Formats: sequence, C-alpha cells, structure tokens
Amino acid sequence: MVTNEIYKKEYDVIIIGGGATGAGTARDCALRGLSVLLVERDDYSTGATGRNHGLMHSGARYAVTDGESAAECIKENMILRRIARHCVEETDGLFITLPEDDLAYQQTFVEACGRAGIRAEVIAPDEARAIEPSVNPDLIGAVRIPDAAIDPFRLTVANLLDARINGAETLNHHEVEGLIVNQGRAEGVKLHNKLNGEHVEVRGKVVVNAAGIWGQRIAKMAGVNISMFPARGALLIFGHRVNRMVINRCRKPANADILVPDDTVCVIGTTSDRIPIETVDDMRVTREEVDVLLKEGIKLAPSLATTRVIRAYAGVRPLVASDDDPSGRSISRGIVCLDHAKRDGLEGFITITGGKMMTYRLMGEIATNAVCAKLGNSKPCITATLPLPGSEDDAPSQSDATKRYSFGERAAIGRHGSLAARIEKDNDIDNALVCECEGVTVGEIKYAVHQLHVQNLVNLRRRTRVGMGTCQGKLCSCRAASLLGEFNHDVKRAQKDLATFLDERWKGMRPVAWGDTLREAQLTAAIYEGLCGLDQAVSTQRKEDEQ
Amino acid sequence: MRTDTVIIGGGLSGLTCGIALAKRGQRVTIVASGQSTLLFNGGSMELLGNIDGIAVTTPLEAIGTLPQSHPYSKIGADKIAGLADEAKQLLADAGIDMEGNASANHWRITPMGVAKPAWLTLKENLRIDDLDKLPAKRVALMCIRGYFDQPNGMLAQGLRELGFDVKAIEFTTDDITSLRRSPSEMRATTLAKRLISNSALQRIADQINNLSDDAELVLLPSVFGQTDATDFQTLQSMVKKPLRFVATLPPSVAGGRIQALLRHYFKMLGGNYLMGDSAVSGQFDGDKLLGVTTAKLGDMPLKANNFVLASGSFISRGLVANYERVFEPVFDLDVDADGEREQWTRFGVLEPQAYSRYGVATDNDLRCMKDGKPIQNLRAIGSVLSGHDAVKMGDGTGVSMLTALAVTKGIISGK
Repeated sequence: MVTNEIYKKEYDVIIIGGGATGAGTARDCALRGLSVLLVERDDYSTGATGRNHGLMHSGARYAVTDGESAAECIKENMILRRIARHCVEETDGLFITLPEDDLAYQQTFVEACGRAGIRAEVIAPDEARAIEPSVNPDLIGAVRIPDAAIDPFRLTVANLLDARINGAETLNHHEVEGLIVNQGRAEGVKLHNKLNGEHVEVRGKVVVNAAGIWGQRIAKMAGVNISMFPARGALLIFGHRVNRMVINRCRKPANADILVPDDTVCVIGTTSDRIPIETVDDMRVTREEVDVLLKEGIKLAPSLATTRVIRAYAGVRPLVASDDDPSGRSISRGIVCLDHAKRDGLEGFITITGGKMMTYRLMGEIATNAVCAKLGNSKPCITATLPLPGSEDDAPSQSDATKRYSFGERAAIGRHGSLAARIEKDNDIDNALVCECEGVTVGEIKYAVHQLHVQNLVNLRRRTRVGMGTCQGKLCSCRAASLLGEFNHDVKRAQKDLATFLDERWKGMRPVAWGDTLREAQLTAAIYEGLCGLDQAVSTQRKEDEQ
Repeated sequence: MRTDTVIIGGGLSGLTCGIALAKRGQRVTIVASGQSTLLFNGGSMELLGNIDGIAVTTPLEAIGTLPQSHPYSKIGADKIAGLADEAKQLLADAGIDMEGNASANHWRITPMGVAKPAWLTLKENLRIDDLDKLPAKRVALMCIRGYFDQPNGMLAQGLRELGFDVKAIEFTTDDITSLRRSPSEMRATTLAKRLISNSALQRIADQINNLSDDAELVLLPSVFGQTDATDFQTLQSMVKKPLRFVATLPPSVAGGRIQALLRHYFKMLGGNYLMGDSAVSGQFDGDKLLGVTTAKLGDMPLKANNFVLASGSFISRGLVANYERVFEPVFDLDVDADGEREQWTRFGVLEPQAYSRYGVATDNDLRCMKDGKPIQNLRAIGSVLSGHDAVKMGDGTGVSMLTALAVTKGIISGK
C-alpha cells in the first residue's frame, strides 16, 4: 500500500516503536485479526533492540536475584528456539568461576537455576577448557547452561514481515509528534514523515506505546506520567569470534561479565550506569566504559587482549519504577504493562515496557491481550507455537545450507531462513557479491530494498549485515550506496547517504580507534576523501541544500 | 650484506629515493612489505591540493605560506619547483607518462565525479585544465555491466555538474561476462589481467563504436594496462573517438602499474629490492645507526652508511597506535603526536583528523629524532613524516616524492 493510503485508514491498533517489542506486538495483533499500523521514528531495531549483546538468555543470569524473570527467560528461550530458529545459534553457555570469585556462589547459582527450571550442569574446569578453548584457563569452576546467540535485527524483521503478511502496515522514519486525545480517549497519533517532511494524523481505536526508553516522552504527550530509569550499557565488538559458547561470570551480575559469539564476531558487555532521561539520545561511548569492558573481558577470554576491537556501542534499558515507589528504589526488570484507562483515566492507551529483548514475544502477547480486551476480541494467542517466516518447519537448516549453496546463498539463508528463496539469483549480476566479508549479493540488496523497507545504507546494514564485517564497510558501502542510488533513482541522496553511513560507522570506531581500527579508519579516509573526494561532494550538496 | 643506503619501505617515497640514489651510483637496498598505498592512487600526483578546505590553484605560491612544521617548509619552499621537475622526469624515465606542472594545478576527476586539484596525471586519464573550458561537451560514459567498483550514477552526476552532457551506456563483452561467473572476480585488477589481447580489446572497441552515438569523448573505467600504457594506445587506435580513462575504486590498475614500473626501473639501475621482508629493529652507536635487523634475514642485519625510513603512516604500519600511545615501531623514534587517545580523532568522520598529521619528528634535514637528538644517518621521507595531511591537504604523493629527492641530495653531498 502506498504511504498516503496508509495514512487514510483507521486502525484497530496503532503501535508506537519498531523494536522487538513493537514488532512482536504488531505480529500478535495482526494474527488475531486486528487491523494494525506500526510506526517507528527511525529504523526498525535502532534503539535498545539493536544495542545489546545478541544474547538469548537462558535466564541463568537472573536466577539468583530475580527468579520470576529467570523463569520467564527460560520459557521464552525454548519458544524462540522453535519459532525463530533462523535467528538463533544454539551455542550453550558457561558460567565460570575465577580464582578471585567465591566458588561457594556456584552452589547458590545452580540451586536457583533449578528452581527457575533452567538446566544447569556443573562441569570440571578441564572439561570447560576442552569444550571452550578460549576460556580463561585459570578458571576454578564452570556450569553449563542453555544460553544461545540471537540476531535481534533479524528477529525484529521476521516479526514485522509476519505482521505484514497478516495485513499489518508498518512505517519506519515516522516520528510520533503527539497523540490525538479526545474527551479522555486516545484516538490516534500525529506523525512526522522524516523522509519527506510531511505532517499527518492517523486514527486508531487503541494506541500501544512500545517505544522503550522513549516511552516516557510518548506518555507525556498523552498527559500521562511514567517514571523511567534509563540504565545505559556499553559493549565492544571484536573483529573475530574467539569463543564458541557464551561465557558468563558466575557471580552476582556486574560489569562486562558476558561474552557472546555473534555470527563472525563476538561481543563483550555490558556496563550499567543510571543516566538522566534527557541524555538517552547520546549514545557516545566513553573512554572509561571502553577501559572497564576490556579489563573485564580479558578475564573471561584472555585472547581478547590481542584481538582487534572493531566497534563500541551503547544502549539504554527501559527500566520502570513501580507505581507505589516513584523514587526508583524498587525498579522492576520484569515486564510492565500499563492500561492507562485504569491507571490514569485515559481510555485507548496502553504502555508495554520493562522486560528484556528475550521476553519480547511475551510482552507482545500481554500487550495484545490488553488490546483485545478493549476491543472485545477473544481470539487466542498463537505466537508461541507459530514459526516466524524464515523458520518454518521445512525451512533449510544451517547444515543443509553448508552443503548446498554458494557463500552468498549460504549467508543469505543464515540471515533470512526460508525467505532466502525470495532473493533473485537467476543471473550472474544478482549473484555478484557486494560485501565480501558478510557475503551479501546484489540480489539480496534488491530483496531488502523492495521487501524489507530499506531507504538508506544504515537500514541495509541492519537487514543484511552489509558493512558489519571486519572491514566495517570499506569498499562495500560505496558499492551498496551506488546500487541503492540506482534502485531508488536518487544519486544525490546516495552520496549523502554514504557519508551518513560512514559517520555512523565512525561513531562506533572512534572510542576504540587504535591498532588496526585506526588503520582501517585512515584507509577509509584515504579512499573516500583522498581518492574519491566524498567530503567535497557532500559539503557542496549541503551548501546547495541550505540555499 | 653491505650497501651504501638501506631504505625501509618500498612505496612511492622509498622507490623514488632508491632510484635517485642508484642513478648517482649508490648501492641501495629497499626492504619492502610488498603492498603500498599506490594501490589507492587513481593515476595522479598531488603537490598541494587544499588549504583549509579551499582548492589551491598555484601550489608553488601556496607552499610558501605553509608552517615551518610542514615537510615542504623543512626542505625549503624555494627548492620545490626544481625538485618537482626532477620528480616528473624520474617518472618519465621509469616509463610513467604524466602531464601537469607545479606552477598551476589541473583537475583530476575522481571515481565519484568530483574534480580535485592535481599536479600530475597519467596521459590517458581524464584531466581538466580549466573548469570553464571543458575538453568536450558530449560524453559517452561507458559502464561495464556488473562492475561495481565504479559508482556510475555518482560519476555521471558529478560530470554533469561540471558541465558535461553525459550519456551513461552499459556494455559487456564475452570476456567480461565469463569473469562474472565467480562472484568476487569483478575487480579492476582482474579485469585488467583479462583484457589484454588485441581481440579482447577489439570486442570492447566494437561495443564502444556501436554505442557511443554522437559523443565527442568516450570515458572508460581505468581497468586496462596492468604493465604499461600500450593497452590504452591499442584501444584508442580501435575506438573512433577520443578516449580517456576515469579512476576506479581500489585496487587501482594505474596505481599498481606506477608501483610496478618504479620497482622495475629501480632493479634495472642495480637496486636490491627485498620483497616481503620488513625491518624489525636497529642497532645504534650513539647518534649513529649501524644496522637494521629484518624479519627474514634474522641475525644478519643490513649495514649501510645511510638509512632512510620510508615506512608510511598508520595504513602501512610505519606508525602504530596502541591503547596508550602512538609510536614508530622499528626504532621507537620520537613522534609528533598527541598523548591522550581522545585527542587523536574528532567526532565527525569527514572532519580533519589529528592522527593524519602525526609522524616521526625530524630536524630540518629530515633526520629522525630519537630521545630528543637527531640520528645523523637516518632520515625520514614520505607519509611517515609529521606535519602534513594527505587526505585534507592533498599533499601526500608530493611530499613522498619531493622529500625523497631532497634526502637523496643530503646523502650524496654527505651533509
């Protein structure tokens, strides 16, 4: 449907926020037969969804401190292994005890896992070293638990795709500027289309606020107060994958105690700092954060000391104060679903927040139940059993892929599951590799542009991993920009887009710009500025835009 | 092994220095890792392109305004014109025909269609002397189907903004299509290897002649002529209209050829090129360097009267930054660099970056400083020098060649 027609319809439900929670809610609502519009101010999974470890928690991390969250986690973990298997890599994880840690905690930990229903198997340090050669060899204890790696970008897109297959409309780069409130009732949203500058109003019977940490701002637009406590976490990505399994520290949760293998790289995190709500849009990583992540990461896997750090990034968890304690002392990490009709006397407005990426599906289910209760819809939730597109029962498995296809096809199946079949590969041009690090073909870019709402290179990176590999988009970003310019028939935008993309990459590289990452930066500058004159082209265009 | 001069680094500056010394009868050894930043060179040399973001039209005059810390100021602004002529002649002697002069910059056309100031440009490349007087109006931009390292849309757009009437025409030949079967084979250097025979060039010329209509000038991506410029001449003799090449994204065929021709010339002059080796440390006696140990020669250090450090910037590992500091990895020479990591870079990727001006500290004769004192027989040239900015000032290749020639004079005269 073209955008103008989307604006004209009235929806059963409008969902604000294109992270995992919003996408999961959109899918659930659509599957229950509701007419759905999802709006996202930036790109899908730009917020906390795209700024975490990519860890599919077993729940073990929370077992000691928050049994309820732990039980939720393991239940969702098992569900995602079935319904989202093309987004999941079943690595398992270790909780290791180092000489400086208290080995007695291991007993407490294993018992708590047992209570939460999490398989926790104590293994000897020797066995841990054998199954995970990168682990700190000084460890004195290890527990094996069912952690796994999950790709949050892919997961979010799969949910959005299924929502759309079931009739939902989704708009990225549409920012909510206000809520339409009439006589104590939310009736829709005021939107700013950031692609063309247009301002529009869209009507819906129920509005769901799934905007993560930005949900406080959204609620305020409706005159409703929610006290959020932003908790910032910084992470580092290393240039290759040193570990096979997730490695955690077996102690009370602390800074930088999880190392997750993700695709071709690995990620250490996270720090945890309370920040003022006004600063949630500033994602710059500080020197202190980098230092602590490196120091602690090396304790988990000593080879990180000599592994290149390719990128640093930070995300903000949307923690919420419970209503009877606005001071924030008893902050919940659990799921919070607020029906503002009951809480604030505002009908037609629901906030779903708190929780974790792991529990996005459950959050979607809870929010959808609340929506359905308002609309008198009694259809049951089926998202716990219905596979996501790409993970159908007959979808090719990773091991099939390894046997049968070229590098590009194999990578595409890894990213898109059975949907990879939609990628054109009938001619030599479609099969041509654009990004050699991640195996992205022209056909896959075409597919992403035409079917996955890709308007720019940053979108494309999230959908396909173009430029996410070791070279961080040195040459492929120019090739991809050029192709996007061609597919979108807008060359001028392609150059600005390329500059924005390089800037975005640089934001993550700058905090770790030493060693090979600094080399890579100088190389990129030599190519794009020295050889190509991109800086000159972009500054000329910016001057023209201003006039 | 005994030589007169050992040069560490086999890129543009190291080869220029090696050739100039060998021509004066010196025995020279170059220790080269094998790759150089010439692979990102589209076929032009720059003396000085920009000051504070403004294009320089008369580089010799502008060089007079540079601060004393700039390598050109160290070798003397009054010497630049003479050294520049010498550099152009050296290139010509090596079989690299470039046009341009140091008194007035011309414009090279980048792979994205941007006009950038340049000092010398390969004869077969598109070059504009005066942006108000274009060499042609109607241009056929020939785009190789499935070749993505020339951003054709951006290039066409840029050429149009310069005032050309551009028709972008996609074409292919059987030779090119067969390369396509391997998804990662479509790179400039692979094309250049494939497109050598007269019949392959004729098939391309036929396409151009059929498709280029009423164009006055035909442009092709620079994917021809790995070893010399005869492929261009052959192609031009087959194409009915004037033909020019446009630089591509790396790997650059033209840059690779410049590197190969310089290396060949150096060897012809009797130079010793240790390919695939790298210097790891040096042995000093007070303010004199006695020998250099390399990775491959191990405990047989290279001894010489003079040594030249031409090891490049961070890209080439002539400079290294770790978590704590910027250093010169072979001799741990003094470097001009900021101490705190936060100062090395700036927030915007296209802003001038402090690190690109970092380099080894030298005296005015380009002698390297160690612990605050100059090493009498160790000089630095090219990108490893501090005080210039190849990216923002467009002075990289000029500094490489001219400091190399200046240092040669110092070594020969024994100063």
